[in-house]
Amino acid sequence: MNCEFDRRRFLQWTGAGAFAAVSAQLSLETLTSVASATPLPASTPILVVVTLYGGNDGLNTVVPYSDPTYQSIRSNIALSSSQLLPISDSLAFNSSMPQINTLYGQNKVAIVQGVSYPNPSLSHFSSMAIWQSASLSADTTSGWIGRWLDIQPHSPFNAIGIGSTLPPMMVGEKSVASMVDVGGIQLPWGSVATLLPRLGLSSSSDVPLEAAAATSVTDLYSTAKLLGPLLTKSPTGSFLNEQLSIVATLINANVPTRVWEVNLSSFDTHVGEQADQNALLAEVDAAVGAFMTSISAGSRSNDVTVMIYSEFGRRVMSNAGLGTDHGTAAPVFLIGNTVKGGLYGEQPPLESLDVNGNLQVTTDFRDVYGGLLHDVLATPVGDVIPSWSTALSVH
Amino acid sequence: MRLTATYEQRVATARLLHRFNFGPRPGQYADLLKRGLDATQTTVLEHGLADPGLDSVAAPNLPDLGQIPTSGTAAATAFWDAISQGNTELVMWWLDRMVVSHYPLAERMTWFWHGHWATAVSKVTYPLPMLKQNNTLRRYALANFKDMARVMVVDGALNYWLDNEENYISSPNENLARELMELMTLGVNKFTQDDVTAAARALTGYSVNLPTGAVAFDAQQHYADPLRVLGTRATLDAQSLALLIVSKDQNAKFITDRMWFRFVSGTTSPPPTLVSSFEHRNIFSLASALVHSSAWTDPANSLVKSPVEWFVGACRALRVRPSTLKANDIQWQLTQMGQLPFNPPNVGGWPYGQAWLSGVAFQYRFEVASQLVTSGDLSPLSVPKSKMVQACADWLGVPEWSRRTASALAAATADPAEMATVALLSPEYVVSA
Repeated sequence: MNCEFDRRRFLQWTGAGAFAAVSAQLSLETLTSVASATPLPASTPILVVVTLYGGNDGLNTVVPYSDPTYQSIRSNIALSSSQLLPISDSLAFNSSMPQINTLYGQNKVAIVQGVSYPNPSLSHFSSMAIWQSASLSADTTSGWIGRWLDIQPHSPFNAIGIGSTLPPMMVGEKSVASMVDVGGIQLPWGSVATLLPRLGLSSSSDVPLEAAAATSVTDLYSTAKLLGPLLTKSPTGSFLNEQLSIVATLINANVPTRVWEVNLSSFDTHVGEQADQNALLAEVDAAVGAFMTSISAGSRSNDVTVMIYSEFGRRVMSNAGLGTDHGTAAPVFLIGNTVKGGLYGEQPPLESLDVNGNLQVTTDFRDVYGGLLHDVLATPVGDVIPSWSTALSVH
Repeated sequence: MRLTATYEQRVATARLLHRFNFGPRPGQYADLLKRGLDATQTTVLEHGLADPGLDSVAAPNLPDLGQIPTSGTAAATAFWDAISQGNTELVMWWLDRMVVSHYPLAERMTWFWHGHWATAVSKVTYPLPMLKQNNTLRRYALANFKDMARVMVVDGALNYWLDNEENYISSPNENLARELMELMTLGVNKFTQDDVTAAARALTGYSVNLPTGAVAFDAQQHYADPLRVLGTRATLDAQSLALLIVSKDQNAKFITDRMWFRFVSGTTSPPPTLVSSFEHRNIFSLASALVHSSAWTDPANSLVKSPVEWFVGACRALRVRPSTLKANDIQWQLTQMGQLPFNPPNVGGWPYGQAWLSGVAFQYRFEVASQLVTSGDLSPLSVPKSKMVQACADWLGVPEWSRRTASALAAATADPAEMATVALLSPEYVVSA
């Protein structure tokens, strides 16, 4: 179960709505002057990673609607024809995704089908660890973006996550990503504030975690200096929309960041799946649609690739609680104005399931990462994913 | 860092106090340094004694709020107000207990078990079933894990959280069965999908009255035929399933590993002998073995304090009762730091280690610290200026300031509130090194 405690609900719950920051409009001058010191060079590709926590049901996202088994094996949650947006004779988007469907029609959405890894784990935590570390070994503690950070010249701006706790994907052996809160950056105030940046200095007596704590202080001041003035406008919309609108603002301001991370939880639909998943997919669709609109209107229109994935898909057969248990392969979405849209890999057949009644894996997720490392991050795959060399390119 | 005898004792004493007792009360660290490591080990393990601190915290008065009224009605408004008020009361009540307890091991262990049987009010909605679960975790926090597992497997909040009320013979829901084995008793890859399927059947027949958390058993809806789970064939209900699982050797290994992970280190492994202290599933025996282990002088065993552990430690040092602060502010700040009690992000519980060390977390720690130093007791810093920096380390239970932090603190001697702020935000206080 992956029930996310979202900010909106929190505000409602505690009556703490007064915390919402006062909205202020950003002028173009502010944007350009702030990022002008160290802007991301023109045409540098940018990756935006969207993690869907809980295990999104791929079969009700990209639906094999013409296969009679789809209706028979999950009759109590199968989507009806009015809930489908067909993209081929056999596949349709869930109708909660109209904007992504439109982008697909414009050849800007690559759907990689049947993605997972050998012998998929049905554990949320093992599977998410595998996806975020890009390693099947439980001994790997670094994340794939973290290892990419390790081989970049150090900068707190190379990769930025939205939120307060660092996802494992963004932690390397030597480097970690910076985080930016959806509420913006509020540096310490008052007379003590002048002393606090000193806590970011390194000290020879630090153990590694103390050194990391010190680095986080310095990174906060660095990010505040560059990003703070850009984040005076309080984001609105759903939780994912808030995160992606911050990312769009900062990308359009040319901040020198190559990788962004946002996420949405609660995809663990063991019960009452249709209503919950449709609402979540609608949130993803609205947020990604608005994000692409914002990016397409800016100077980075051709630079951005969005990847959307979850730790696993769900069981093919539904349960009596109108939900599904943990499964295996599912589609990964890659979206961008320079992405070559269409279907990649093979849709796993519903008639040929594994011993647990789950889909066969047809694409290894490390091939997807390989393509992104090569095409977007201009990094040899093996430098980030040891002993892996294959790549699925969608550019 | 070379460990001198004195320094080694300062490290071990600080670690034991911060990790098992939510940090020292004013004067306690210096006192235990004088009394020695044996006395510290005895002190942090004290529990079950009359506790005037806990006696001063009134239990939350949570009524049965009944079913959710139709939205848009006045009854619905009153209902959601009562939910909000009850949940706030629950959070502040527990934070108060952690802070004022004279013998905090039981609260600290309850906090560990809350992360272990991680259940979130974000789905459960009602505070009353969360309170009942919390009291169960407290009752068994240092008792026998067999009893804890037997009672928790039919806990209302947990059953609802993991969808067990949707688990039918004709169509099982595996959520509780899988997480019970993977996250609460055995660990990942220590069972098969067939075990999950069978365990889910053993868990059929239970329903939850969510407003109260009461669980009812209907034998008609329960799978009555023999099941094979973990190699044993038997007719099983929830409780006998829990006892069967917990009887496996792997359970002792798993719980020992989890305790080590949360109390000692997220990167090192427990000595192979530690598991023998949990042979009979006695939780206090395992806690005691950990406290008496040689882990505390190994420099590798550093740990990041989670946001709640950091906050509670600071409140204990500054003698601030959380309920005297603005509840909305505290809950907001803890939420933004990623850790509000009763709201773990998922059934796996909270993250650990470096995940807590973002610049954003620093931003919110500052907000909290600036409130605490305004209302807190800073008298431990009422010493001559030349002694303030050392007094601050002794007060907060910090073995030694780095040169970096010592110089920042030395610049704050004019104002104890500033010094306390710098100290609470320092890497040496945020990390239990």
